[in-house]
Amino acid sequence: MKLVIDDVRCKGCNLCVMVCPYHIFQEGRRPNRRGVFVPELDRPERCTNCRLSQLYKRRLCGVCQTICPDQAIKWVPEAKHEPHKVVIEY
Amino acid sequence: MTVEDWFRHDRLPHIFCAGCGNGSIINSTLEAVDSLNWKVDETVFVSGIGCSSRAPGYIVTDSLHTTHGRALAFATGVKMANHDLNVVVFTGDGDLSAIGGNHFIHACRRNIDLTVICMNNQIYGMTGGQGSPCTPTGALSTTTPYGMDEPAFDLCDLATAAGANFVSRWTSYHVRELTRSIKLGLQKPGLSFIEVMVQCPTNYGRRNRLRDVEAMVSKMRDHALLKEKYDRLVAERKPIPEGSFVVGTLTDRNLPALGVRR
Repeated sequence: MKLVIDDVRCKGCNLCVMVCPYHIFQEGRRPNRRGVFVPELDRPERCTNCRLSQLYKRRLCGVCQTICPDQAIKWVPEAKHEPHKVVIEY
Repeated sequence: MTVEDWFRHDRLPHIFCAGCGNGSIINSTLEAVDSLNWKVDETVFVSGIGCSSRAPGYIVTDSLHTTHGRALAFATGVKMANHDLNVVVFTGDGDLSAIGGNHFIHACRRNIDLTVICMNNQIYGMTGGQGSPCTPTGALSTTTPYGMDEPAFDLCDLATAAGANFVSRWTSYHVRELTRSIKLGLQKPGLSFIEVMVQCPTNYGRRNRLRDVEAMVSKMRDHALLKEKYDRLVAERKPIPEGSFVVGTLTDRNLPALGVRR
């Protein structure tokens, strides 16, 4: 799973920065097109839910998603790694 | 269904200010509703007037946006007309305790099978920051420019005294505990009253030296005193920290209720 902030909904309140136990969310430094300082993600692969939700088949932690007043944080499933043939040209 | 499916996505993003905690409470409520597997057609959200009362407009179920303070009166009508509906009332502190105070105590007295979620931001946020009955003593607002000199209303004590079955208080910082508490309240027959202390950085924090969201939320977090700890302090006759408020399940009892599903 992959952690995503929807920058259309985010209003830059930085509540997620406050609650994340891994400090994945960092305060945004650069305003986006609408003038909102959307938080930046610092190594989001450390997130508990990203790592283990597939294994446990349920949402783990998820405090950032519940506390986000603007419903901007979500997890999207990542495409599985598919081995593909490599054609070697001589 | 997931929590995302309960939102009207064409209405989002909502109009709440940046940092307003009302959205977190909607998330917690919908998570609790979703975990009980309620159907969309059997759930009704009712609200009055105010910031908090915008909430049902973002939820996909049938909802009633009623006159100021009369959310509980309308909800009583809905519940008495059809006992099979699950009725949840969103209301604010001014809506519930000032204008709708009488409806509130009589809904508690009748013990109707409703769940009342009160988003207590301690001020009239939408109309420009007037002092409400829940504004703490000494706080500044547009109608109390020298500090509030009246004591604040304790809504949980009022609901307990008037006869509600389930009363609890949490803050918008404690989202996991709040979700659990709302779930208990939704399952309980009779009136369940959940008061949620919520930050209002625009109209309350700006005038009371809590300019940013983090200052408001950490103040709520630091001053929340668990019910168990409060009981222990009282039993040991130790002083209770100043400015703190009790959080947790305050009342849980089984008085006869009205309008319970047959």
